[in-house]
Amino acid sequence: MKKIIATLVIALCVVGSAMAQEEEIDYARKQAIDSLALEKVRDLSKYIKIVGSKETPFSEANRVIDRAEELFMSDAEIGVSSLGSNKITYYRVRKYFEHLMRLNYDRVEIEWYNIEYVSDLQRQPDGTYVGVITIFQTFRGYDKEGNLTYKDTTKKDITVYVKRKETQIGGRTIGFWDVLLGDMRVKETTNR
Amino acid sequence: MKSKITTIMMVLLAAFITLGGTTSCKSKKRLAREAAEAEYKSKVEQAVKDLNAILDDETLWSLEEKEARVKTIKDWNLQNAEVDDLLFQVEKKLARERAQKEEEERNKQEAQSANATLERNFASIARSGSVSQANRTINETLGLFESPNVPVLIIINQSAGFNDYDRPTTIEKYLNYLKDQKISPNKVHEIKYNANGKINELELIKK
Amino acid sequence: MKIARNIILLALTFAFVWPVVGQTIGDFKMDETELYAMTKQMGQFMRRFNYEEDQYGEKLNPKDPKYRNNEMRRKSLPILFDQQKYGKQTDLQRYFIEDVTKDDSTYMTFLGGRWYSEVSCTFRYNGKPVNISLILAIEKEGLGSKWVLTNVYFSDFNKLFPNGEIAEREKHFLHPMSHELDFMNIYKAFQNPEVIEYYASKEFQPDYLTLFFYEIKQGRLVFQHVDSVKFHVFQIKDWYFEVSWFDRSGLNSGWLMSNVIYMPEKEKTNLIKFYQP
Repeated sequence: MKKIIATLVIALCVVGSAMAQEEEIDYARKQAIDSLALEKVRDLSKYIKIVGSKETPFSEANRVIDRAEELFMSDAEIGVSSLGSNKITYYRVRKYFEHLMRLNYDRVEIEWYNIEYVSDLQRQPDGTYVGVITIFQTFRGYDKEGNLTYKDTTKKDITVYVKRKETQIGGRTIGFWDVLLGDMRVKETTNR
Repeated sequence: MKSKITTIMMVLLAAFITLGGTTSCKSKKRLAREAAEAEYKSKVEQAVKDLNAILDDETLWSLEEKEARVKTIKDWNLQNAEVDDLLFQVEKKLARERAQKEEEERNKQEAQSANATLERNFASIARSGSVSQANRTINETLGLFESPNVPVLIIINQSAGFNDYDRPTTIEKYLNYLKDQKISPNKVHEIKYNANGKINELELIKK
Repeated sequence: MKIARNIILLALTFAFVWPVVGQTIGDFKMDETELYAMTKQMGQFMRRFNYEEDQYGEKLNPKDPKYRNNEMRRKSLPILFDQQKYGKQTDLQRYFIEDVTKDDSTYMTFLGGRWYSEVSCTFRYNGKPVNISLILAIEKEGLGSKWVLTNVYFSDFNKLFPNGEIAEREKHFLHPMSHELDFMNIYKAFQNPEVIEYYASKEFQPDYLTLFFYEIKQGRLVFQHVDSVKFHVFQIKDWYFEVSWFDRSGLNSGWLMSNVIYMPEKEKTNLIKFYQP
């Protein structure tokens, strides 16, 4: 009986400290998580460029769309609006990329500004951390004659979910940070 | 009178010197012999002690230090049955230790060259001028692995003895990732092989 | 003396000179300076307000002497005002900065309460488009927090409960002996639906959120889209301010203080009742 109580006490202490540990992420660790989240967003930007480029073969574009989809939560949506309109068009991730692939320009240029803004991570009720990363993109579409026919700059606010998970690999328990992108708000902006 | 005394004195002195001289000469030889015996004895003792310590792994010496010790003892040429017997055993033991160490060093070198090969391939995939060129290097690299699904772990942070990882991926996905992203952000941390020498687990760490 | 002043001026200028960063791709020169200057997220507004990040947007280590440094805050706070409205530093703005950077300085915190989001939306009400403002607040729950609806502003609802004139109010009541007549007079209360609430206790307060939920559940009120978002902040002692989104070029854009009001704590209590009844 005493043994059971002792075990329970120890188990509770362990759970307690594990929880306390989870609540207090130290600065270095926070920075590592921030850069991991940022890396996922940079990966996404690269995928957008590859899929948007007219030089990318169809099969490669499809493979890349698969990879891009893996970056997101399964129910993530992309909400797009243009200047002077409050109307938001909602896309599922796959549809958004397919739309990008089929854009009717002869050549497109997609560039990312060298600026990314990473919010603090806040916890939602189930303990998952939520943050938002803001990035800016310019898009230019050219016709056959090489004339610029469309141009915009968008602010992209991307939800990032960070969750501590564990998995078994080669008989070991690996603790990892699962970073998944969530909803993305794409808003045209006058800032350049 | 005076000269008589002087003569007696001289005789006595001479006798003394002679007597004294012979006694001192005799004891010197003895002392030298005794010293040699003592030295031999202490060397044997020291050799037995050291060799036993090496045999029983009770020293803190490196393999090189142990080998040097054995050489010194052999150079003493003690011609002592016990020491010779111990030397025989110790030399057998050290030969094995040496072989083991060389094996380890070879493995380490091989591992380093495996690390280097992988990292070279990673960089080459990321730098590829074309998709087909990248795909060639991907296929070549996949050949080093047990299967395309070999798990790849990426350490993002090490603190307080704990590793923080990114979500585990597979080698095939990782290589394609390098191709798409055109950067190779991680270096090899650890490689695990199966019995056939194919990689069956890869651990990377952020550069 | 003059030199000292120049040094101070120089320091002031250097403290908030935005990093000029550019990249040239093809024929296009991309200049990030404006994007650095833009307060890109409400969270960035808070971090700038508290000086928890430098002008490059780099998070400061809480152990860094610059972290939450009041000297730095005095320099950085002016950039968080809508400079089209507060272009010249007004006395009010100066006092505000003085107060929030005092020794017992006040900071904005995400989980500190007393800040609300006003989400202006379009709904369809009985088939016609209407504007409704939703008020939301951060509420702690479980291991974290979430945004919750605390109130709603819809002019049609407010019209239902006008602040009637006292003379008019005084005409409508059930006399204290009505019970002896089996409340035979109560039918009068229902004859004039527009003043039915005059028959309620003086403690009565209409609950607009309940009305709103009811209309939604009845299917008469249907959500269309969000038009704009702004924030109302009551966290700072004796001050209230609004933070709105400014989409414009230049070095003063993004989330900025659009309305700053000196408001002693006593006055605040009443106003907060609107946001969180």
